[in-house]
Amino acid sequence: MREELFASGRDIPNIDPFLHIWHWHIPVYLFLGGLAAGILFFAGLFTVMGKEKEMETTVKWATFMVPAALILGLVALFFDLKHQLYFWRLYTTIRLESPMSWGAWTLMVITPLSLAWVAAYIKDAIPEWNWKFKFLDTMEEWVNNNRKPLAWVMMVFAVVLGIYTGILLSAFNARPLWNNSILGPLFLVSGMSTGIAVIMWMSKNHEERKILSKIDLLLIAVELFLITHMIMGFLAGPSVQLEAASLFLGGQFTVSFWVFVVILGLLFPAALEILELVGYKIPVAVPAVLILVGGLVFRFIMVEAGQITRYLY
Amino acid sequence: MNSNNSDRSKLYFNPYFGGVMLGLILLATFYISGRGLGASGAAKSTVVAAVDRVAPEHAEESAYYSKFISDDNHPMNNWLVFEVIGVLAGAFLMGGLAGRLKFKTEHNPKISTRRRLIFAALGGVFFGLGSQIARGCTSGAALSGAAVLSLGGFITMLAIFGSAYLFAYFFRKLWI
Repeated sequence: MREELFASGRDIPNIDPFLHIWHWHIPVYLFLGGLAAGILFFAGLFTVMGKEKEMETTVKWATFMVPAALILGLVALFFDLKHQLYFWRLYTTIRLESPMSWGAWTLMVITPLSLAWVAAYIKDAIPEWNWKFKFLDTMEEWVNNNRKPLAWVMMVFAVVLGIYTGILLSAFNARPLWNNSILGPLFLVSGMSTGIAVIMWMSKNHEERKILSKIDLLLIAVELFLITHMIMGFLAGPSVQLEAASLFLGGQFTVSFWVFVVILGLLFPAALEILELVGYKIPVAVPAVLILVGGLVFRFIMVEAGQITRYLY
Repeated sequence: MNSNNSDRSKLYFNPYFGGVMLGLILLATFYISGRGLGASGAAKSTVVAAVDRVAPEHAEESAYYSKFISDDNHPMNNWLVFEVIGVLAGAFLMGGLAGRLKFKTEHNPKISTRRRLIFAALGGVFFGLGSQIARGCTSGAALSGAAVLSLGGFITMLAIFGSAYLFAYFFRKLWI
């Protein structure tokens, strides 16, 4: 009897054939990161446009959510790490070809920046606030005198942060569902939409809400366009990509994706926003919550579904 | 509630028009999903899913719950659950179009809101129990059943509305 020995890499627990290492932490982080990017982008945009008075919630109050969202997101990310105490090593190098390096450094810039942005507005929220130290007063004055240049920096890094939440997945060349160039812009637009949902929900100014609603409708349209093209791209691709698209076209994620993301997370809130714009009374919390839940479900589905798509069969 | 008739006609559909629409929806439902409409089924799925989550052993042993639990299909992955989500969304949309989106409890001015809510909840519990014994409620058994000329559908319809006429007398103080 001749004995044959086969060494195969096809049975690596949790990695091959299916990736099973990313749980709730990653989608939650991607959601909070995108949301923070959305709020910061529009805070920056309306500051640069000189509309601090008209868009007060966008520029001031909603940004108070950002440091909390970023920190919670980073805590989730930290819990996902296998070797938690080595996280600081990301900051010993800059690698332009690595999305994780981009993300780590972007967060290093935008988290303190958002904290400074919010801290310099704190006296508008609590007039009797006292910084206790002279240097903090000086810093506050500096931030308030340099809002516009800071807003530019914030906008640029917010876009990087928003895109990076998608690129983080699309750089995975071993997973066909993630490995497409639309994912970055799609996550950016979706993050901006969730950011706007938070601002709309917080805003008490009818005019401001109207402007945000119009922007959000545009973002939803772009998002639907990108989703359509992502699926069309898969359908025009090789069989592994057809396989990936089939998860949403009859496969196990069909119902959750089309019902909770596309219909309840995009089309229905868009319809409600249109009704509101033409003069019907719709409680703003409803479209806002639908958009937020839709954005969260979208990220859960993309992370879950991406892990089970593969090249080798 | 506004009792002015001209205002009410703007707030609500004409009931005959509504009835025809409901029939057409039912027809479309048979065509699209291969099943009829239902309402209590979604509540049942929710209860089954909740019990299965909290006490899986109890759910598996129970003759009632175990029928609806299987390894390859979650109890909430059911046409009726999604239909009811659609009903909520559609109702919200139409409420917005008619300008009726506000929190209120409609009741007879002679009784308190609390009393109305308690009796409504009690009625709901009885109806839920009854619908499970009868294998369907006004939508699932009576409406969808009668639409396919099922004898059970007609019996359910007669039983629900007949007993409502019989018992209405005892509870008339809640309404008049």
